[in-house]
Amino acid sequence: MEKKKLCIVLGIMAIVVLMVSPAMAKQFTVGGKTLNLFGYVTQGAAFSLHNKDYYDTERDIHAALMNLFLEFDYTFTDNLKLYAASMLTVDWIYELKHDDKSWTDKKFFKSRDELFVDDEYWQLLKEIHLSWTPGNCYFRVGKQIVSWGEMIGFRLMDQINPLDTRRGMADVEFETTIIPIWLIRAEYYPQITTGWLQDVGLEFIFNPNADFIPNQMLMGNDEAGIWSPNIVAPLGPGREAYIGSSNMNIKEPQEWDDEGYEYAFRIKSVVKDAIITLNYFYGRDNAPVMRPDMTALPRFEVAPDSNRILHSTMEGRYPLFRFAGATFSRDLPFMRSSALGDVAPLILLETFYAFDNTFATSLNTFKKLDELRWALGIDWKVRIDLLNPRTYFMISPQFYHQKILNYPHDYEIANLEDDNYTTTLMINTSYFHNKLVPSFFWMHDLNNKADMFRLQLVYDYSYKWHFTLGTVLLDGREKNKGFDVFENKDYLYFKISYKWG
Amino acid sequence: MRKVRIFIITIITFSLVLSMLTPLVWAGEEFKITATEFLEHKKMFDDPRPYLKTLTYKKVLPPEVYAKMTYDVEAMKKLWSEVVGFKAPDVVGKIAPEIKPGTYSYKDKGKYPGLKELMIPLHYDMFFKPGGPPFAGNFPEIKVVPTRQYYWALPVAKATKEHMGRTQLDDQGIIKEETYVAGLPFPRPSGKFKASQVVYNWIKTPFGWDNVYSTSINKGFTRTLRIDIDMLADIMQIRLKGRTLIEPYGWYDDRAKTLGEQVAFNFFYLAPRDMYGNVMHSISYLDPDKFDLMMVYISALRRVRRMSTTDVQDAIGGADYIYADNNGFGQKLSHTIFPYKNEVIAEREYLIPTGTWDGSEYMSSEGYEIHNYQFERRPVYVVKMNQLDKHFVYTYRIVHFDKETGILRHIENYDRKGRLYRSVRGIRPFIPEMGMFGFGMGLGYDHLDLHTSFTQGFTIPAPWVSRSDVGLRGLVVKGK
Repeated sequence: MEKKKLCIVLGIMAIVVLMVSPAMAKQFTVGGKTLNLFGYVTQGAAFSLHNKDYYDTERDIHAALMNLFLEFDYTFTDNLKLYAASMLTVDWIYELKHDDKSWTDKKFFKSRDELFVDDEYWQLLKEIHLSWTPGNCYFRVGKQIVSWGEMIGFRLMDQINPLDTRRGMADVEFETTIIPIWLIRAEYYPQITTGWLQDVGLEFIFNPNADFIPNQMLMGNDEAGIWSPNIVAPLGPGREAYIGSSNMNIKEPQEWDDEGYEYAFRIKSVVKDAIITLNYFYGRDNAPVMRPDMTALPRFEVAPDSNRILHSTMEGRYPLFRFAGATFSRDLPFMRSSALGDVAPLILLETFYAFDNTFATSLNTFKKLDELRWALGIDWKVRIDLLNPRTYFMISPQFYHQKILNYPHDYEIANLEDDNYTTTLMINTSYFHNKLVPSFFWMHDLNNKADMFRLQLVYDYSYKWHFTLGTVLLDGREKNKGFDVFENKDYLYFKISYKWG
Repeated sequence: MRKVRIFIITIITFSLVLSMLTPLVWAGEEFKITATEFLEHKKMFDDPRPYLKTLTYKKVLPPEVYAKMTYDVEAMKKLWSEVVGFKAPDVVGKIAPEIKPGTYSYKDKGKYPGLKELMIPLHYDMFFKPGGPPFAGNFPEIKVVPTRQYYWALPVAKATKEHMGRTQLDDQGIIKEETYVAGLPFPRPSGKFKASQVVYNWIKTPFGWDNVYSTSINKGFTRTLRIDIDMLADIMQIRLKGRTLIEPYGWYDDRAKTLGEQVAFNFFYLAPRDMYGNVMHSISYLDPDKFDLMMVYISALRRVRRMSTTDVQDAIGGADYIYADNNGFGQKLSHTIFPYKNEVIAEREYLIPTGTWDGSEYMSSEGYEIHNYQFERRPVYVVKMNQLDKHFVYTYRIVHFDKETGILRHIENYDRKGRLYRSVRGIRPFIPEMGMFGFGMGLGYDHLDLHTSFTQGFTIPAPWVSRSDVGLRGLVVKGK
């Protein structure tokens, strides 16, 4: 099976290498119609910044991720277009560390089935959809991404597509984290205009549950590999166990079952130069609510440091998720300052009220509660001549608040307090005619006193060749919470990308 | 999995059925030239073919559209000379008269000192030489052609004549928008605000029809002449006020009138891969003190994002332009938004690359030189636009406007230290039977970073471009 998988990988790569030459055009005429073809191949490597031999990480190279991405669109007629994208993801670390003792002892080798090659059909076929755009309408049917909201870095309103976070939280291509799903999307732009309403569009999304694909999260070195959260469970006085993979007994809707149908409606508008949307979503949470199944006996293994590894059984479901919300964005010209480069800040706001969300509790029960989430972001381009006389700095702080209403007093909601706060800060600029792009990202979890920092430098040698160097630093002060579970995973990464088209 | 397969088959079937049906329903509505089609007639390098002889508007446009967009050439010439009060061939030839039509090499600089007098200094000193770093677009030789009369389409000329003398500026040289109706607002600039009138002839230029679809192909060059940018982008644009060529005439719609909108466009990227699926939308307002509305569909996020309307000074995607450099000079004159004090510093003839009538000019792949480059004596206003906001990226601009047509021919932008920062020169195809200029070839330079942007493209009148293409829907539909 493994040999077969490897042969398939190498076969696909060979075909792509043969197909793609520097002379390859980005636009073709096929049957008298336009075909645009693009793609990229990236090869990255990640190295641990820790010298100590932690159970949940490796001391040197711990990832060698390759992405091979191809996409095209073909225009049948002026208003009918087919788009498809496919991706092959391979982590060569499973070959490089095949005989490595530490890798084997820490059970990372067992995660090969999950993480060596993404070979599920929905991973290989990222998107395929048909767009039909007659008159003022817009229809898109197929496996696609629908992204709502204004924030970047965390998801508030953006709840339609599930996420794949199995391979870490930084330096991943957009195409690797958002999972396109089968959706029917219909939009209508009535061209209504008044003195205050400049543009408006109505959007309806239906998920027929053709294939239920939830968020992709794994636990334990033996399944999640290097990105397994390092959670330690007490086993009694002075004794602890690492949390390993679990038997997941999570109930999910069957394909095409109406229990898995999802409906989303949005009104998009431009009002007095502001973009305002009203949103409603009825569907399933992409993340399961789950709890340990106390009737199932846990299984133990021994870690190389002689600690125990606990494998438990989890039970749960993908609960209903319903919310109504709104977004708002516009610039504030009165705040532009000549001394800062004359660019007015952009204010971004999104909020929703969710009804009867289901949470796991510290009593090992499920509890339904309403919640309110809101986030405020600012994008401000400023000129700092001393640091960069040619190009602006983009400074983007965000603040996020999740409030659980009627929070219980006598027990806890798993991983959440009644008020939960997160902030982010992104800063970037460019030098040498956009060739060198340094950036800084900081996420701070106020409740868990946890931080994530990412420093990155991208060198765009040309529109084809790109080089990335960066580091991710993670820190948490509340045990088993926030980024504390990734505290041993600080790493340095390098990536080379070749893009065509 | 079996059901997913059924789903895919359904999509493919649906797609095939629609592909057979939709041409019947919607055929003939959209016509355009794609980058691939353009490149079949004119490659980016080493292609001297006169593409305007093969890719003619008569072939490209549906007959009824072509018929509507073409006029009696002699009538246009006569009326336009009446409107502006002269014909270019009659007012040139005074400076360095020894420079006659013919081919001149950079080696002739010593032999013909008149060339220096006649050419724009930047052209003569920096680019009239063999190709080589740090810039692409040098020209080792030029073809001096006889000066020709240029004119605008008959409806533009009629509107200009009808409203001549009615457009007014306020006491700061800013247009009173309610006094402008259509056509060139100041066909004969004069008076205290002559320079501002010249600038307004560009701001309100009839260039590019009322509804257009353009395709552009762009290459970027580093200081070593390595190609670092390869971009394809298409543009849809609608003029919202002062329409004379494509129905509806006058105001485009009630919305434009109610909200005071001037021009709307969507600019969508087809390449490189990182930009593919990004779409930018902009609406400019007639209110001189109101910033444009800007939104962008970001393909990486699959979202429409509002852009800060004031973000007009940062270079766009590694190119050698900023938003305020759109079409050479893309700002409006304003009391409060980066206001200018304008002055005409010269009114004379220059030998400049003007219009191409056959499209035979080309860039070579060796040295990235321009060949078959046609230069023409043109009567020109040289306007110095002094920026009054000391924090603006440019302290002043030197702009060369063609006196006969109002077209911007060359611009130099100087940074806050007084250094030449960016410049643009272009050659636009002239379509005689339409009285209109097309896209052509443009060169943008960053003189500080030593970078060149080279653009070629093709524009067509596109009555089918509507609000639904240029707006919120257009952002989503053309986005990835």
